[in-house]
Amino acid sequence: MPKDRQIKAQRASVIRKDPALFLAIVTIWLSLAVFILLPLVKLLGATFIVKGSFSFANLTKIIGKPYNQRALFNSIYLAAAVSAAGTLIGYLFALSITRTSWPRPVKWLLGSITILPLISPPFTSSISLTLTLGPNGILLRALGLGNLNFYGFWGTFLSETLTYFPVAFMLLSAILSTMDTNLDDAALSLGASKGRMFRTVTLPLSMPGIANSILLLFGSSLADFATPLILGGHNFPILPTQAYLQITGLYDLKGGSSLSFLLIIPALLVFLFQRYLIGKKSYVTITGKSGARSEFSKLPRWLEITTAVVCFIISIFILYLYFIILQGSFVKVWSVDNSFTLEHFKYVFTNGKKAIFDTLKIAITSTVLGSLLSIVIGYIIQRKKFLSRRILEFSSMLNYALPGTVVGIAYILAFNEKPFLLTGTMTILVAAYIFRYYATGIRSVVASLQQIDPSLEEASASLGANSTKTLFRITVPLIIPSVLAGMRYLFIHCMTAISATIFLVSVRWTLLTTRILESMTELQFSQASAFSIVLIVLVFLADALMLSLMKLSTRKIGAVQENIYDNSGA
Amino acid sequence: MTTAALNLIDVTKIFQKGRGKTAAVDSISLNVKQGEMVVFLGPSGCGKTTTLRMIAGFELPSSGRILIDGADMTNVPVNKRGIGFVFQNYALFPHMSVYSNVAYGLRSRKEPEGIIRQKVHNALELVGLANAGERYPNQLSGGEQQRVALARVLVMEPKLLLMDEPLSNLDAKLRIYMRTEIRRIQKKLGITCLYVTHDQSEALTMADRIVVMNRGYVEQMGSPFDIYAQPASLFVADFIGQANILRVTVDSVEQDTASVSLPSGWRHSAKMIGSSKIRSGKEAALVVRPENLHIEALPVPEGQGKSNAPFNLLKATVRAVVFMGGHIEYHLDLGTTGKGIAFMPFQSGVHVFQEGDKVQAIIDPDTSLILPSE
Repeated sequence: MPKDRQIKAQRASVIRKDPALFLAIVTIWLSLAVFILLPLVKLLGATFIVKGSFSFANLTKIIGKPYNQRALFNSIYLAAAVSAAGTLIGYLFALSITRTSWPRPVKWLLGSITILPLISPPFTSSISLTLTLGPNGILLRALGLGNLNFYGFWGTFLSETLTYFPVAFMLLSAILSTMDTNLDDAALSLGASKGRMFRTVTLPLSMPGIANSILLLFGSSLADFATPLILGGHNFPILPTQAYLQITGLYDLKGGSSLSFLLIIPALLVFLFQRYLIGKKSYVTITGKSGARSEFSKLPRWLEITTAVVCFIISIFILYLYFIILQGSFVKVWSVDNSFTLEHFKYVFTNGKKAIFDTLKIAITSTVLGSLLSIVIGYIIQRKKFLSRRILEFSSMLNYALPGTVVGIAYILAFNEKPFLLTGTMTILVAAYIFRYYATGIRSVVASLQQIDPSLEEASASLGANSTKTLFRITVPLIIPSVLAGMRYLFIHCMTAISATIFLVSVRWTLLTTRILESMTELQFSQASAFSIVLIVLVFLADALMLSLMKLSTRKIGAVQENIYDNSGA
Repeated sequence: MTTAALNLIDVTKIFQKGRGKTAAVDSISLNVKQGEMVVFLGPSGCGKTTTLRMIAGFELPSSGRILIDGADMTNVPVNKRGIGFVFQNYALFPHMSVYSNVAYGLRSRKEPEGIIRQKVHNALELVGLANAGERYPNQLSGGEQQRVALARVLVMEPKLLLMDEPLSNLDAKLRIYMRTEIRRIQKKLGITCLYVTHDQSEALTMADRIVVMNRGYVEQMGSPFDIYAQPASLFVADFIGQANILRVTVDSVEQDTASVSLPSGWRHSAKMIGSSKIRSGKEAALVVRPENLHIEALPVPEGQGKSNAPFNLLKATVRAVVFMGGHIEYHLDLGTTGKGIAFMPFQSGVHVFQEGDKVQAIIDPDTSLILPSE
């Protein structure tokens, strides 16, 4: 009877039922095994295997040194401070954009200023802070604070906060702008003052976002490598720089591995906690049923004034820092000979030409491959059911959760010998970037798939289309905007990241970021500034291109998501 | 002998809920004739949508068989079943124009472009949107989107049209307009249609046959008239239309009628349904539609001449008076018996009772029913 056969066919394994899916899963698992799991296993091996057997000897040796204990403490202390300050500032900026009646151009300006640190290499604020607040810095002189030692906690804290608060801003403004305005109306109509409404409605509803932002910033600061390398100084050791110095200075791979293992624990804790938070249902509900959308209620007076003052001071300071870099790139020797010159740019475009092209080539390759991979992984995670789905999802995100330094060290350990002898190749750089930064792409694909009502795919099937046609005619066109968003993030990071790749660059492949670091360590501030300017301009142009592509892709659909929600509304 | 357009044979769907298993649909069997409009009606979670999705092929039944035009479709994928499905949220493809949406299925079937154009045009004309082809779904109102969704399905000339609460997102007026519109098109094309709704007036106005479902079971199947006038269970009586349900004691049972009484001494006899469960001396439920419950002024002032008080007298106090235009809704307090509602037709000059008035409720034996208590 055909019925029995059909039921059997249904129960048959994934291989027979959906060979394309099976192939995709196997390919993904293989690449994850080589580029994520193998390096991690090697790192754990280097930490825990001494003379062929399991041992804590490496770890105890490292922890035994007071200097390393301080590094661990400093890392966590700094991350806590940066995440708190960065989230607070980000929240104030987000409030100013979503909850005030300031003129549009002002809001636009604020938004644009916060983008600057996002698209800059991690050194930018470090360089200009050194020029302004470092030894002989112009602000110090202007304020008459001649001998203030800026290196150490305060310099690192300031620089990291300025670098990372835009992340908090983006996250929180997204949450603030998707809240239901009717809640504001309801609170006010029940007699609450604006202040009470803010305390009892807006703030509690922002809490999941605030918690998420704190975790995100904590992880970023914990992993940050470039800033403390330049601004930390000898008196403020932290783990990533210690691990780096252990390896590049002392050629102690085992010590470096053990130090980075210490970093893995808090990083993974943050990652797991974040997943737990995201896993819980968000308070934010977009029902689309709320008829005419009214406006958000404005901030209470005192908060608006505080917000205005903070946003103003910080915006001016950021602009000032960027102006300093620009100025620095055009003077002969900073604060010694301030006459105008183009020689640094000439240097960048001759001597640095290779770095520019290498960086672009690697970034573009990584972006294209990484995006394709994130579409495939995101799609099968969200829409397909198979045995190893949860583990696959977790493993694919692992490198993203680990600090760059850890990934860099793990990659050296894994790819320095056969069968995967990749050191010195472009492949290792591309792989490091893809598997570290495609996570955002995967997440945005998953998120947009979640928002696409499965009934669209069911409709396609009920109209006679098979699954391949449904995927390419219905699903893919609808997620293109979020794929582009993931590409944008991937590209920016491939252009500006350094923590992992500092271990992986070679004579054959150099990167702009490593050139900036070299210039800084050689105290060639003007050269570093010129490199930074070129890098920022390149990223900015690419970013603008990507943004206009996103606009173009959503224009035809006419804001897909709103439309989907409107459909289910009255 | 003609084969039925659809046969459901003991169709069951079991969902894993936490540790336990629950039957969302519990062995439903049903035959649907060619061209018939069958409406599944029930509260949310009663299994009506799951049943429809199994017929469509979005879900596979845990057991049982589904036959469309006599052919076993139990395990055939959706895109091979030749059904048309209209979704609650319409599921129009937002990145395609109205024309492309309607042409989508025909293109899957690889029909020639010239024929597609003609068919799409006809379909859009049928739903009254002949000029909307170039527009995008987000430029249409809810009712227009709904009609595009209908056109997209009708253009395929499906053997079976399945509709999952298609009107629930429309406003009240449009809903009433659309349900006659859908019924008109369905009759004109002679298409077999299964329609899911939780709106009883939609079911009563549209259906050839109503299937009332509750907790995965079929409570009653029948024409709108039967369902309304002769509900098979208290659930159906309560769910379809409004009903006064009085807890009564059975005094005596005859062939198909029973005599019942209230502790106050009031007596009544009416037709029984489900007579096997009704025994003398036991409790039962007396069901009366509000339009069959009349109220009148009390014939004699209270407390006088007990002996000549009429036998069939149910005392009530008016609790609220709601003017509905065509009729007046009286909310009554029936003393120990509970509460009740009576609809009285309104004409100018008719006496309107006031809140607090003592009245008597009169129940017509022909339009009331006695059902088992549970």
